Amino acid sequence: MAAAMVSSAERAVLEEEFKWLLQEEVHAVLKQLQDILKEASHRFALPVGGSEGAAKQESFVLSVAGMDQVKGVLTLQGDALCQAIQDARNHVNQAIYLLMNRDVNYHFKTGSEVLKLMDAVMLQLSRARNRLTTPATLTLPEIASSGLTKMFSPALPPDILVNFYINLNKLCLTLYQLHVLQPSTTKNFKPAGGSILHNPGAMFEFGNQRYEVSHVHKMECVVPWLNDALVFFTVSLQLCQQLKDKISVFSSYWNYKPH
Amino acid sequence: MRVSIPAVAVWGRIAPSHSITAIMITDDQQTIVTGSQEGQICLWDLSSELKISSKEILFGHTASVTCLAKAREFEKQPYVVSATENGEMCVWNVTSGLCIENTKLPYRHTAIYYYHCSFRMTGEGWLLCFGEYQDVLIIDAKTLGVLHTLSSQSSDWINCMCIVHSARIQEDSLVAVSVTGVLKAWDLSSSLTSIQERQNVCEKESKSLGCTNCRAVRFCTYTERLLLVVSSICWQVYDYCDFSLLCTEFCKSGQCFAGGEVLAAYRLIIWTEDGYSYIYQLLNSGLSKSIYPADGKVLKETVYPHLLCFTDVKENKSFPFVMGFMNERKEPFYKILFSGEASGRITLWHVPDVPASTFDGSPQEIPISTTWTLQDNFNKAHSMAEGIIDHLCDSKDGIENAVVTSSVYIPSLDKLVCGCENGEIFITPGLETARARLLENVSLKGNLPHKVLNGHSSRVTCLLYPHGNSVRFDPSWLLSGGQDSTVICWDIFTGKILHRFSLQSGPVTELLRSPENCKLQYHSVVCCVCSDHSVAVLHLQKKVCLLHARKHLFPVKKIKFDPMEGLLIVGCEDDSVYVWEIETGTLERHETGEIAKAILSSIGDSEYLVVDSLHPVSQESKRNKNVQYKSSSSYKRGMISYNLTQTEKSSDKVMDNSLIQQPFTVLPVKPKWNNANFHVLLFDLEKLVDLLLSYQPCGLKSSNSFHNYDTLERAKSTTEKRALTLKRNKTAGFTLSVDGQVDTVYANQVNRDSNTIRPLEESGGIKRQKKMKSSRKTKMQPSGNIDVNITTDTAKLLLSCLLPWGVDKEIDDLCVGQLDILRLQCPVAFGLVSNERHLSLMLPGWKCTDGGVLEEHTLSNLFSKRVLDLSNKYLAATEGRTGERDGTVDNVYGTKGAEIIFFLLSRIVLINRVFNMPSADTSQIESLQQPESVHNKWQNMEAAISSFPSFYGELPRNKSRRHSSDFGNASLLKLICCWSDQSIKIIEAMQAVLLAEVQRTMTTLRKTAVCREPLATVENGNVSVLKHDKSSNSANFQDVEDAPDRCVLEESESPDDMKAHPWISKVCSCKVC
Repeated sequence: MAAAMVSSAERAVLEEEFKWLLQEEVHAVLKQLQDILKEASHRFALPVGGSEGAAKQESFVLSVAGMDQVKGVLTLQGDALCQAIQDARNHVNQAIYLLMNRDVNYHFKTGSEVLKLMDAVMLQLSRARNRLTTPATLTLPEIASSGLTKMFSPALPPDILVNFYINLNKLCLTLYQLHVLQPSTTKNFKPAGGSILHNPGAMFEFGNQRYEVSHVHKMECVVPWLNDALVFFTVSLQLCQQLKDKISVFSSYWNYKPH
Repeated sequence: MRVSIPAVAVWGRIAPSHSITAIMITDDQQTIVTGSQEGQICLWDLSSELKISSKEILFGHTASVTCLAKAREFEKQPYVVSATENGEMCVWNVTSGLCIENTKLPYRHTAIYYYHCSFRMTGEGWLLCFGEYQDVLIIDAKTLGVLHTLSSQSSDWINCMCIVHSARIQEDSLVAVSVTGVLKAWDLSSSLTSIQERQNVCEKESKSLGCTNCRAVRFCTYTERLLLVVSSICWQVYDYCDFSLLCTEFCKSGQCFAGGEVLAAYRLIIWTEDGYSYIYQLLNSGLSKSIYPADGKVLKETVYPHLLCFTDVKENKSFPFVMGFMNERKEPFYKILFSGEASGRITLWHVPDVPASTFDGSPQEIPISTTWTLQDNFNKAHSMAEGIIDHLCDSKDGIENAVVTSSVYIPSLDKLVCGCENGEIFITPGLETARARLLENVSLKGNLPHKVLNGHSSRVTCLLYPHGNSVRFDPSWLLSGGQDSTVICWDIFTGKILHRFSLQSGPVTELLRSPENCKLQYHSVVCCVCSDHSVAVLHLQKKVCLLHARKHLFPVKKIKFDPMEGLLIVGCEDDSVYVWEIETGTLERHETGEIAKAILSSIGDSEYLVVDSLHPVSQESKRNKNVQYKSSSSYKRGMISYNLTQTEKSSDKVMDNSLIQQPFTVLPVKPKWNNANFHVLLFDLEKLVDLLLSYQPCGLKSSNSFHNYDTLERAKSTTEKRALTLKRNKTAGFTLSVDGQVDTVYANQVNRDSNTIRPLEESGGIKRQKKMKSSRKTKMQPSGNIDVNITTDTAKLLLSCLLPWGVDKEIDDLCVGQLDILRLQCPVAFGLVSNERHLSLMLPGWKCTDGGVLEEHTLSNLFSKRVLDLSNKYLAATEGRTGERDGTVDNVYGTKGAEIIFFLLSRIVLINRVFNMPSADTSQIESLQQPESVHNKWQNMEAAISSFPSFYGELPRNKSRRHSSDFGNASLLKLICCWSDQSIKIIEAMQAVLLAEVQRTMTTLRKTAVCREPLATVENGNVSVLKHDKSSNSANFQDVEDAPDRCVLEESESPDDMKAHPWISKVCSCKVC
């Protein structure tokens, strides 16, 4: 590791090893990464061609944990259910594109080149993962004005708000029952901030009308392929980091390689 | 008001790495702008012969740059916008290098297009952006606020976009292709109002193209019919009228198309990810038939591409390439194909106006016109690219290796500690080192006192002087970490090794101090991060390693040292958390996901030791805000650390106060990807002038009094402000003898060599006022080594750097002979720290900027040709009005070089002030001509400037004619304000004024060799002279025609005089008499 301490013979061996790492090992890892990510990307099923009829359908039954009061049945056309999945899919595809550009024919010359590529890939992967693990915090007016509430046909009754989101491997559907706050009310109006899940009693103003959440129903269902995707992300991230670590071991040689 | 600090960069032999991620050429074809993965923007000069030369590097982003675009009509304002991976956006003036506007939005842009519709739009235009979010975002080009989004039916990320100006249908549209290959078109010009009113704007058309990974979409403005769509596997031409496909061309195997542009009617240029480009002619034999949309598919054979030319980068290849094409039809502009590489190389091809294939019909290769890297400039200007202590330790490897691999500056000792590639550590006095490096005098180099510490067997990777921020540590301790995985604790005074910790964990990447509120047993503890992601807790006093936590799989992002519970909490980059018990060395908990987040968020930002694996958090480096600024912004990448921005914000206030405590600071900068360590010398102008004032012996006593009564006035109105200046002085350990009211403080001087305890809050200074009260009498001052010489040397060094050497030999001789300002060894790379978060530094290539002002061998420090014009303008502007001033000027100039230096310096400070005034104020000055509104405005301006002693500090020299001097200043201020609006660099202005003033000094010196006496009267009877002034002023007023200035003068002067009396007598008693 310490360049100055090793003998010249040892140094030659180390350099040979580094060369092997750049020319063989890196490509092997990149191939492995690509395979894993392609597998992950298939889960997101990008509708190539966009011929409307061929989009795959998927139904989900959502339920309140342990209770049978409210049940949701969702039928998906394509995959554009919610932005989080769309974003995750796009991030994965960008990572794949980055890797595709350096196929076996590409000759890595420096370690830092590999590190930069890994950084770029890891950035996309961690963003993809974060999109699934961290649901967006929305304010109630944001939910009210979002497309989710509007996409129902027939339209939802005006006192109902709906929000979908992904939390780890679960698809969550939240249903807010509202009641209108009369202007004469003595209640102290205090608009609620952004949150993943709002509690009963949260108040907000939308379209010159004040509302209060009276009931909240949260339904969820496990989407198995989301779990797979998350596992793939974690594994790929670890692979990337391991490759970075291997390269770093030889860091003292970077300077000897011309750019 | 903004704060800006002049800086001088001392580059090393290795250029900082600049992996180009975005590149553009400005509309005037004179500047290339590149953005890098490291987060910097680099400006390159492009000559009319297509020669490239690096000009300036701009620091300010904290993450990789994703795109660049022009942000205004370029002829009017040379502004460029940059966006980064973490959502930051900056608008830069590429002429002056200043950041005009910046923001941080939760959007990551892939590309930005400037759109301005002059007749229907108010404001400065829009930035149409797309990226890792749905659809198209419209951002105001001036404020960088989000105006609106263009929405669509099936919202998705946009991959590429183009603005279609069609003269035929008088409508601008926006054509974009989404990641799923859906082409969408929005009306732009007809939806201007609905966008401004934030109504929903949906796409006008939408069509699936059936190809993913679209890289570019371009509209042919020559035919107004063809639409070019480039995807990674093929490029296609569509008919824009009905979107029928006209032709498809697939790429060779192993290549990916990356972009394309329309060269002319039926002529296209397409480039690839690996740096090739191809020029095609579309043979349009059957195009007329394709008007029938129904037959579109049948007729797609009717247009087919013929390859005319190609370009190749040959060797030097490094992924990925970012390419672009600049299509200028106007003479003398060129058609340029340009590319930037990850290695930092820029390549240009001059594409002929009519590209043609060879005679036998095979494609012709277009040769490379220019190829250039930052390192080329560093090699060329090797005298400028010499490291700060290169003359002490010449490396055996030649230019292959940077010599200095890590360094730290200790302000309290004025010591610069540099760790080298070969394991040696050099300790030198900071200012002396800078002088030896920059100035011509050879004896400085030979006599530079230095100490060498030998202990590491290979590269020194990090250094820490723990006492710097925390008095718990012994002032003699210096820590160094090396490539050889050892941490050595040195005695900085004797150079002895106190202890050597062998960690066996790969190179040491970082050394961190433990937090303040420690139990006694953890008092002298530091944390050490190694490259195998392990964290070692070292006890310096006991000389033991308390814990070596080795289980982390990912790089360490955050460390919290909890001394109360005896825990070490380590947060890694994959958002997992490890909790270690220090006593037993066991891993208590390992958490991921939600729990990890909860643990990390429960820790206050201030308690972190590390923000990311590379850099200490701001609270730890409060000492100098710039350290924090730099470390966080310049070489960190790829982290969307919310914490970071938080701390940055919170520490901004802190920064303000503890800006720089000494007039001179060395700031070491360590880049991320290579070892190109460089140093930035910072000069605090105001501080410098303050100090000079206090040191002026008899000669400038008059200025003292002036300065003082100004301070007093301020003291009365705003104690706050006064406390600030006072405080700054104190922390720096300088003796400020001006202010009578603080005599008590300075009475208790401390013996010089005891490195006296300086309580932390003094450098923190959030509640500085309170502390001032409590600490005023009790706190000691480490006054030690600071004396007049250091201050004057600093001032002279700054002037040396600024003076336009080589322009006029006489001036040079005067400066060297009379003023004792030493000539520069080589041109310096000037820079400017502005707004506490932006730094621009000139690169060694800047000399070539003006096409070789002078021959190779003569030293020339002229920043630009413009400086000469400015200097003449300045002379013209001030000369006419103050013709009779010469008399007084003589006196001052005749007396002493020191005073001239002081005068020149105060001019620089004045310019600095004016340039930093908010632009609102500047515009007010322009309207100064209107008599009725003048009064307030002038006062406003006055307020901005008068809070500042040195502005008055320079007055005394014309004391007997104060009126004329103020009058001259008014026009001077107007002139300078004018300059600052014309994107003239602050240093250009400084140099121009210096040149003019030195020239004037020279002429007066020539005229009168003997100095007259009036100054003496000023010295001896402050009060009486002031009175006299008053009367003479009022007499003079009769002659003045310019009414506004006069009334302002009267207004501002009379109360001053009243206040001055008692106070001046006070000063007289303690200082002069």
